Amino acid sequence: MNMNILLVEPDVALVKIYGQALETAGHQVCVATDAQQAIDLIDEAVPDVVFLELQLVGHSGIEFLYELRSYAEWQKLPVIILSNVAPGEFTGSQNIFRRQLGINKYLYKPQASLEKILATINELEFA
Amino acid sequence: MKDWQPASMNPTLDESQRLFMALTEELKVPFEQIERRAELAALNGHVGDTKLIAATADDALRLIDNYLLAIRLQQNPEAKFTAQPVSVAAILYDARAELMALANRYNVQLELDIAGKYGPVLAHDVALKSALTSLGHSLISALPAAASSKKLYVKLSAHRGPKSIVAGIYSDEYVFTPEVLRRGRRLYGQTRQPLTGISPHAGAGIFIADTILRAMSLSLKASKYHNQSGLATALPLSPQLQLAGF
Repeated sequence: MNMNILLVEPDVALVKIYGQALETAGHQVCVATDAQQAIDLIDEAVPDVVFLELQLVGHSGIEFLYELRSYAEWQKLPVIILSNVAPGEFTGSQNIFRRQLGINKYLYKPQASLEKILATINELEFA
Repeated sequence: MKDWQPASMNPTLDESQRLFMALTEELKVPFEQIERRAELAALNGHVGDTKLIAATADDALRLIDNYLLAIRLQQNPEAKFTAQPVSVAAILYDARAELMALANRYNVQLELDIAGKYGPVLAHDVALKSALTSLGHSLISALPAAASSKKLYVKLSAHRGPKSIVAGIYSDEYVFTPEVLRRGRRLYGQTRQPLTGISPHAGAGIFIADTILRAMSLSLKASKYHNQSGLATALPLSPQLQLAGF
């Protein structure tokens, strides 16, 4: 199934690569480079899933998530973290991630191949 | 109330360790770009843009070399190289040439702005060029992915100060203040994003440039020129060279 994906990613080169991979797999991709832009884009048209880098300029990805989940209509919007922040940085906070911030999956960029990213979307489709 | 904290890096690291931490965080990005580009090519069933992959690797290697220079200077301050008459304009031309591939990848228009004719200054050309290319590396890759039709502009600039030539990198896209730079110097190598309002990355190139310039008794400062914000260093004019008619 083709999905509408919001990619929240500040790095130009990675935007091109991820965007191309997702579009080749048949998905529609919208890009936001910072938290405010992401909120604005979701307000215009709610995507099927958000891929989120935590290291953004200005407000962080975590701040974006708190903002996102403060809106009742966006509580269930699937969010997949795709970040250079290692998941080990959040030892002890996994429950907060799942319950409070509603993170569906955490992908650590250095170990997240394009195949893995596409497979994660497929898992969402069948969830 | 946010009741979690990411694990912070060790606050007792010395300066060279902090610079190393910043560099390793920064290098994740080009390596990811190389790996994902190669994967994308394989997924699409073709060879892919090997020139782009090579250029990405080249930029990363250059950053490593500039880091090594910074560490050598920091560890062995007596082994200073000889300052010699150096053309600031020539250094900026060379730095721009080295940064062009990166600028193209980031959809950035890299311009030269050399206001007026200057005589040479006393400096070390290799170290000065390394400082400027390191600075450029971090500042260019910090720029956000703009709308595909929009180009972002970055200027390598030289202009006259009261007793110096100010050489630096400027853009409409940054807001550098002395406080932003001070904060970055306190935090680099200890947090992943020491310049949260400027760059999503570790900004290693900025602090590598800072280290190199300090070794040459120069300083990196937040600067404004023609309403653009950036980082620059003031290269003192040499009275001897001026007397010699340069």
